Amino acid sequence: MKRAAIERTMLIASAAFLLTVPWLVPAIADRFWVSVIAEILIWSLLAASVNLLFGYVGLLSFGQALFFGFGMYGVAIGVEKLALGFWPALGLGIAAPVAMAIVAGIFAVRLTWHYFAIITVVFSLIFYFLALTMKPLTGGDDGISFTLPAVFKFGGAEWGFASATFQYFFILATVALCLYALRRLLGSPLGKAFMAIRDNDVRASLIGLNVYWLRLTAFVIAGFLAGLSGALFAFFGRYASASYMFYHVSGEAVVWAIVGGAGTLFGPLVGTGLFILIREVVSTHWQHHALIVGAVAILIVIFAPRGMVGLWRDFMGRWSGGEK
Amino acid sequence: MTNTLIALAINGLVWGLIIALIALGLSVIFGLLDIINLAHGDFFMIGTVIAWTVLTSTGSFWPAFALAPLAGFVLGAIIQRIVLQPIRNAAALSIVATFGLSMILQEVVRMTFGPTPRRILPPIHGTIDLFGIQYQVYRLFAAGVSLLALAAFFLFLHRTKLGTWMRAVRHDREIATAMGIPAQRVYMLTFGLGFALAALGGVVASPITTVDFRAGVDVLPFCFMAVIIGGLGNLPGTAAAAVLLAFLEGILSSFASPTEARIASLVLMSAVLLLRPQGLFKGLAK
Amino acid sequence: MNAPANAPILRIEGLTKHFGGLTAVDDVTLEFAPGRLHAIIGPNGAGKTTLFNLISGFLPSDSGRVFFAGREITGLKPHRISRLGIARTLQVKSVFHQLSVADNLWITAQAQRGVLNPFRSTTSYRETCEKVERVLEQLGLAALANQQAGTLSHGDIALLEIGMAISAEPKLLLLDEPICGMSPAETARTVAKIRELAQTIEIVLIEHDMEVVFEIADDITVMAQGAILASGSPQAIAADERVREAYLGRAEDEDYIEEPVRA
Repeated sequence: MKRAAIERTMLIASAAFLLTVPWLVPAIADRFWVSVIAEILIWSLLAASVNLLFGYVGLLSFGQALFFGFGMYGVAIGVEKLALGFWPALGLGIAAPVAMAIVAGIFAVRLTWHYFAIITVVFSLIFYFLALTMKPLTGGDDGISFTLPAVFKFGGAEWGFASATFQYFFILATVALCLYALRRLLGSPLGKAFMAIRDNDVRASLIGLNVYWLRLTAFVIAGFLAGLSGALFAFFGRYASASYMFYHVSGEAVVWAIVGGAGTLFGPLVGTGLFILIREVVSTHWQHHALIVGAVAILIVIFAPRGMVGLWRDFMGRWSGGEK
Repeated sequence: MTNTLIALAINGLVWGLIIALIALGLSVIFGLLDIINLAHGDFFMIGTVIAWTVLTSTGSFWPAFALAPLAGFVLGAIIQRIVLQPIRNAAALSIVATFGLSMILQEVVRMTFGPTPRRILPPIHGTIDLFGIQYQVYRLFAAGVSLLALAAFFLFLHRTKLGTWMRAVRHDREIATAMGIPAQRVYMLTFGLGFALAALGGVVASPITTVDFRAGVDVLPFCFMAVIIGGLGNLPGTAAAAVLLAFLEGILSSFASPTEARIASLVLMSAVLLLRPQGLFKGLAK
Repeated sequence: MNAPANAPILRIEGLTKHFGGLTAVDDVTLEFAPGRLHAIIGPNGAGKTTLFNLISGFLPSDSGRVFFAGREITGLKPHRISRLGIARTLQVKSVFHQLSVADNLWITAQAQRGVLNPFRSTTSYRETCEKVERVLEQLGLAALANQQAGTLSHGDIALLEIGMAISAEPKLLLLDEPICGMSPAETARTVAKIRELAQTIEIVLIEHDMEVVFEIADDITVMAQGAILASGSPQAIAADERVREAYLGRAEDEDYIEEPVRA
């Protein structure tokens, strides 16, 4: 078999697996794993937002949790305080982080490298502390819980996140759509411009690319992805809390993206899956799973600096190279 | 009112000197190794835990002052050699590695020391009258020790061979290497020194704060603020910024909640990053 | 643009740049006539690269003005100047090292349009793709089209840089030491390419290799200590007493003092 054929087969197999999860998983294991897979899918969008900025534009953001939090609060405040339905609340959960990303980006993308990493943390910390002080609106660390609105109403019938299967497919469809859009984006002129800036921002400005605007564009798209991830997670958990805006959440997303493989489309999903599975598998037997997470992160950056997808590619490269 | 203001201002100063010690370690590591060390807060936390362990096992607090920095130095050097040396020149990877390190350190402490925060009684009891308020003697002692350690560190940097090497490597890695300075060893020792400074800060601070496996999480952002406002890699600037910030937050917290005071310093920090990325104290560099 | 045919392609008036106490470019006034290959020479630290940085908008000048094809470009941002039709290469060879050779050329050609549609595939831009094919053929890089640019040899990277400059279809090309560090074979190949390009594009180049300069340049400008020492035909420059003095006792080293400052 050729390398491309193997990879296509793997992709189809993964897609088939993801499409049958709600029936397949309960048949072989506990139902609980369906929601774990849904959670992986949601968080992979946050990792994808880190990856878009770092892997394709060369900006390491340590503050993506800010937009995740805005997505969560957009939904929770929309449902609980403004009595919005599902779709308007989802809209708010997307609009709020995107607006925040525009404002934060205008300042943040003036800076690069260390300075960019630090200012993104600072911005997210400012709003984390603000959310803590604005208890009546945000519920502070306790957060706000809400009751789920229906997604679709049709006559007397209702579909909503109350149904685990509906919830799963809604999340799967959203994540798949985002990954497809990202794939298109990366093959487009805009995507090539992003990568040119990642490789050499001085040269990029010399060939006529407006580096500032392109970075801002990427920052806003990343803010959208992180915000959508937060909005979905709010519906999934039926609550929002300031603790999700803390820099540890951003840091975990960075680890997922880099360990999975920065600069690759599926790397963030792989990395997120690995770490959430470790957490779920280990934490039922041993409460110190963070030890394993930390160790895996360190081992991967030392021995597979291009992440798990990079490791796979090296392996395939050597394997198919040997075959010729 | 004035009494609380004075108390908060002095508290701020004392805390600022301790933070200066920790932030200096962060700044040295950043300036020399180009690493944003996300485990630095945990190095501080390790210091507090060592203090607690020494106190409970020997009945005396004082040995911790020697033991914690020593343990920190050795641990730091080992960590640099094993974890960070293989990924030198890859700054993004080193951030991930220090994040993983932070998780490991916290978890190890949670496993051994336990998840419950504990308190250490100040080893020096009593209060003295200071500007009309009764002030804990230990806090003044803590400020004195920090000040002494800061002075010793700058003396070390300017008067010893290793200190000169460190400054040379920071200034220009290639020229320093060409001149025969063993850059790799300097990196190892620098990381050890950074850890030692944070651990010493932990010992000094342990009777003032709580000993908790999550203590580093709160300290880290504050240290970063000091490093940024002082200017990345600018050591005297970092120390000055730490004292100034803690002092300002101390005064601010008499008008507003500590969280609001923290927000104010973070906004100040963003302004510095955007308007004067070289820091507020450029004149102090070198 | 509506300048007469023999108007200078590039005109510099009283351009000055200080770095702290050092005057890198000192009140330089120059005109580059169209249709001629210009070379700027001078010892290291003479301000040649700084002059390029000022022209391409990379550094702001302290005083003076720059006109390109009759239009003032002083103070414009680098990407604006680039889109007006000035392309340049850098002294330290720089390409997009993780992109393929073809993508390097593609994005350079497309960047000139200013619009970067996120909803279309790059392969759907026929015109740009054909241009990339042409440049690949022209430079003899077609075999390496899908290779990552970072893996190329030094000489191929230099060729790719020139290719990128052509892809932008500039009116004026600024080449900063195009043959620096090349083997004799690579040098010959590159010089031939520059000659060929000069048929259709205005070229100004900075070069240290005197042999090459006197071989290909129509006009030579000599800079020393930020100012213009002499300007004229190769024969006139070769005979100039001051030029000889400036070069005597001045060992050439590879010290890149004037590398542009990265933000």
